[in-house]
Amino acid sequence: MRWVMPGRLLVEEERCTGCTSCVLACSFAKEGFFSFSRSRIRILRDQEFADFRPRVCVQCAEAHCISACPVGALSRDGATGAIVLDERACIGCRKCVEACPYGGVAFDEEREKPLICDLCGGEPACVEVCRFPEAIRYQEVGG
Amino acid sequence: MCGSLSFPRGDPLPGGGRMTSYPGRWLVVDLSRGSWEWITVPREEIALFLGGRGLGALELWRRVPKGADPFGDENVLIFAPGTLTGTDAPCSGRTTVLAKGPATGYYLKVSVGGHLGISLKLAGVDGLVFLGRAPRPQYLFLAPGVARLEDAGDLWGRTVRECTRVLKDRHGAEAEVACIGPAGEKLVRFASIMTSVYNAAARGGIGAVMGAKNLKAVVVDPRGGRLGVADPPTFRKLVRKAREALYNDSLAYDLHRFGTARDVDLLNELKLLPAYNFQRSHLPGEMRELSGRSWPELGYLKRIVGCGGCIYCCHRFTRVDEGPYAGVYSGGPEYETVAALGSGCGVTEIEPVLAANELCNDLGLDTISTGIVIQWAMECYQRGLLSREDCDGLELAFGNGDAVVELVRKIGHREGIGDLLAEGIARAAEKVGRGSERWAMQVRGLEHSGVETRGAYSYALAFAVNPRGPDHLHTECLAEFGGTKEAVEVVEKITGDRRYAVPDTVEKRAEIVRWHEDIYAVSDALGLCAFSTTAAYGIDEELAAGLFRAATGITMGPEEIMRAGRRIVTLERCFNLREGLDPREEDRLPWRIMHERQNDLLSSDPVITPEKLRTMLREYYRLHGWDERSGVPLPETLDMLGLSFVKEELP
Repeated sequence: MRWVMPGRLLVEEERCTGCTSCVLACSFAKEGFFSFSRSRIRILRDQEFADFRPRVCVQCAEAHCISACPVGALSRDGATGAIVLDERACIGCRKCVEACPYGGVAFDEEREKPLICDLCGGEPACVEVCRFPEAIRYQEVGG
Repeated sequence: MCGSLSFPRGDPLPGGGRMTSYPGRWLVVDLSRGSWEWITVPREEIALFLGGRGLGALELWRRVPKGADPFGDENVLIFAPGTLTGTDAPCSGRTTVLAKGPATGYYLKVSVGGHLGISLKLAGVDGLVFLGRAPRPQYLFLAPGVARLEDAGDLWGRTVRECTRVLKDRHGAEAEVACIGPAGEKLVRFASIMTSVYNAAARGGIGAVMGAKNLKAVVVDPRGGRLGVADPPTFRKLVRKAREALYNDSLAYDLHRFGTARDVDLLNELKLLPAYNFQRSHLPGEMRELSGRSWPELGYLKRIVGCGGCIYCCHRFTRVDEGPYAGVYSGGPEYETVAALGSGCGVTEIEPVLAANELCNDLGLDTISTGIVIQWAMECYQRGLLSREDCDGLELAFGNGDAVVELVRKIGHREGIGDLLAEGIARAAEKVGRGSERWAMQVRGLEHSGVETRGAYSYALAFAVNPRGPDHLHTECLAEFGGTKEAVEVVEKITGDRRYAVPDTVEKRAEIVRWHEDIYAVSDALGLCAFSTTAAYGIDEELAAGLFRAATGITMGPEEIMRAGRRIVTLERCFNLREGLDPREEDRLPWRIMHERQNDLLSSDPVITPEKLRTMLREYYRLHGWDERSGVPLPETLDMLGLSFVKEELP
């Protein structure tokens, strides 16, 4: 595996256009098909008032999800800084979903596992499609 | 009363066991009987007609008998998202809505953005056909594995925003709503279908067809649905290539930042802005606030909005915070709306335009036709054909923005003079008579869109041959202005010479129109926004064919896909011929465009005379393999395009 600088996603809600390009790109990148339910990033959309709020893991320092997990299925990847899930250990209890103050953990109802962004190994698919609005940007941190 | 449809849920590999973005699964709902069936479009037909507008046109040809009443049970209403819709191909979120049109009595296709198409595709529906007429107001609810006709008695009479609110409360915020407003229910001949609250399937009275069917809404919940492609690695590579090309187009970022109305002031300086019902192409005096470029600093622009799967995001959300129009909020306005309800009405302030736009969107009216009809009434008022009394006491002088807003309301509710105008300009002018037909900016019953065609000859030709009537949404020939380096390159590619990137000559216009016609049909069929092919030039025939191939697994080359575009255009022509179209009489432009010089224009010869149009038409028919005099496709052309089946039904 290629070593990349640890990074994080920066989200500016008011720049989001609600186009859902990131949602489609994310599900295709991670699952191999297009789906609103199997994307790591979601957008809460109020179309009438054009209020769009992207929800995705922002790799926060506190990582409430990790401490909330009763079986230790979540940990931080030292190389990318992303939260990673051990699917075999996960019991699908949704504690991580509830614990995240940013609403950044999606839940896959079909497989009953959380969907957590792994930053696509340092080249997030969602960022690539948001070049004009710049509602989601990728920031490399540390060094 | 409301049954559930059996739905092939969890069928991961429809389309004959292949993964594809277009399994060809169409749902046909018979509203009269409350019954339904699934049909599967054969792969050979997908190869010929691609999807979206193409397969929609084929369905329309097959299902609507000659002479059917647009408001009768025999007419059908079709929703056809594109082949690529639902994937992350850039700007691929569009849906074509089709019917026999109530404005013209001819073929009607309307393209709409928003999120309807993606939702339909993810819910497993490649096409949706409504037959007959529901015995009482109903709506259709769709989700993966679920489809139900529901009672819409409580929604009838509600505006688009009210209706959408109720349905989202009932079915969840993620459910996508497409609905009509009061205008569609009251059969206004230019009523729209609205989706994602502010995206309009606007033209030709498509919303009135829905109203006549007693169908208030279609609701689609895409959650749990999924869509694949035949060749993911190739698809990924081509999507990246298309995206880079679109990002790098010199127009693209400006379109994102300032929207389609960005250059209204520049167009005015160039004297290309329709004003006073096309009596002028220039608004004197201060009018800069009509330009989208000014809205951020003036505080009207609250959010840049994107259709599903778009990477440009040219749509706007605007609001007025203070003054007499405080509290007005809506999606848009687009360039066409500003031209129709602003400059065309001689209105130079933006706030009444925002208010009129809000009303159109909420009542479910096409802003273009609404504006053009009002402009015609204003000119009748100017010339003394309509009195203040005729206009319910409104001072209908050009420039009176408040009167425009009030008139929009009256039209949407068919109140007073609004009832006359709701019939569309051709019918209204017939009633008022006394020469008012001459400034009725329409052909075959459809109102001419906001392009000064006397200064844009490709547009003029394209408007004249457009099967649905005179507008720019069948063939967008922006390239003829040579406004960007990419535009000049496109003209060079088509004609062999960049000198032809000038808008006021008859030379090479037929070539320019025909190329754009083909690529536009391909765009609509694939679900691509026409901006990605004919305004910005990121996706050409090569990329379109590649994306189609990788998405569906169906062999397709660039020439073949353009031929499919031609096939679609020709079939649309044949639909109208079957209905009795006489091209010699009806392939034309509004009287004013053909007989009155537009002296504001900088052009040396600012009128499209019948002779000029005839010259362009003859060349256009010849290029198509149609009879040069009659404009009817020759039998060998139909054979070559695989359209032999239409022959026996043509006169």
